[in-house]
Amino acid sequence: MQTENLSPKESIDLIQGMINKTKNAVADSSVFFLLWGWVVFAACILQYILKNVVHYQYHYYAWGLIIIGIAGSVYLGIQKGKITKVKTYIGESIEQLWISIGITYFALYFIFIKIGYQNAFTFYILLYAIGCFVTGRLIKFSPLVLGGIGAWILAVCSAYLDYDTNILISAFAILISYIIPGYLLRMKYKKTALN
Amino acid sequence: MFKELDPILHSQLRLAVMSMLISVKEAEFIFLKEKTNATSGNLSVQINKLKEAGYIEVKKQFSNNYPQTICKITKQGIEAFEVYFKALQTYMNPTDNLEQ
Repeated sequence: MQTENLSPKESIDLIQGMINKTKNAVADSSVFFLLWGWVVFAACILQYILKNVVHYQYHYYAWGLIIIGIAGSVYLGIQKGKITKVKTYIGESIEQLWISIGITYFALYFIFIKIGYQNAFTFYILLYAIGCFVTGRLIKFSPLVLGGIGAWILAVCSAYLDYDTNILISAFAILISYIIPGYLLRMKYKKTALN
Repeated sequence: MFKELDPILHSQLRLAVMSMLISVKEAEFIFLKEKTNATSGNLSVQINKLKEAGYIEVKKQFSNNYPQTICKITKQGIEAFEVYFKALQTYMNPTDNLEQ
């Protein structure tokens, strides 16, 4: 790059060009959607089988699978931190949003111990919706936005259905809000990387 | 009247670096190098000038046993960038100046 003879018009064009180059610098977070998507999906299906097919009393042990999600998130978060070359305000906002949602999941766990688990899935699905919708809007990725809207609809439906059906609704919600958008997001970043 | 343009910012590479840093929280040297297509030597020199002017902070650290240089715009840098941009606008819209 030259450092001389810059006209005001060239300066403005340069500023615009550089801002555009950093605008899309939000790191690929699809791996977190896929990790949590599959962990929660597997936990839902496992709990449903344990409860309704095997008739196991402690069917909720299926949720022990979230330990894989936590360990995986910590590991991937450290790895991502090592390779991230730029920190954007949008990236930071998304990170803080998901940390808050994660803390809310745990807070709800203790709240439901007190008030009962009958409608637990409704609230968990609402949290999927908020996380996916806001992330989708911030990174301008419509599959996540649509996934979030879908999860909101499913959350309302779940309030009118029984616990066993809610387990399957939760699996479906995670499929449309995390797993499918997660794969589409990964494809989008791969395409961008190739161009 | 046309406003004077800050000579620290009115340079292609320094302006490119500042334009990127104003829109992110912080960026690594390697990221700035990739986006500006500048050589490491030239970029280092220009980053030092911005640092000396107090427009950016430069943090050197190790990540995964590799040296890492992280650049971040300062409050003074943001203010200088805003003043520079307003001054540029006076050149782009000279009629506004005539009206004043």
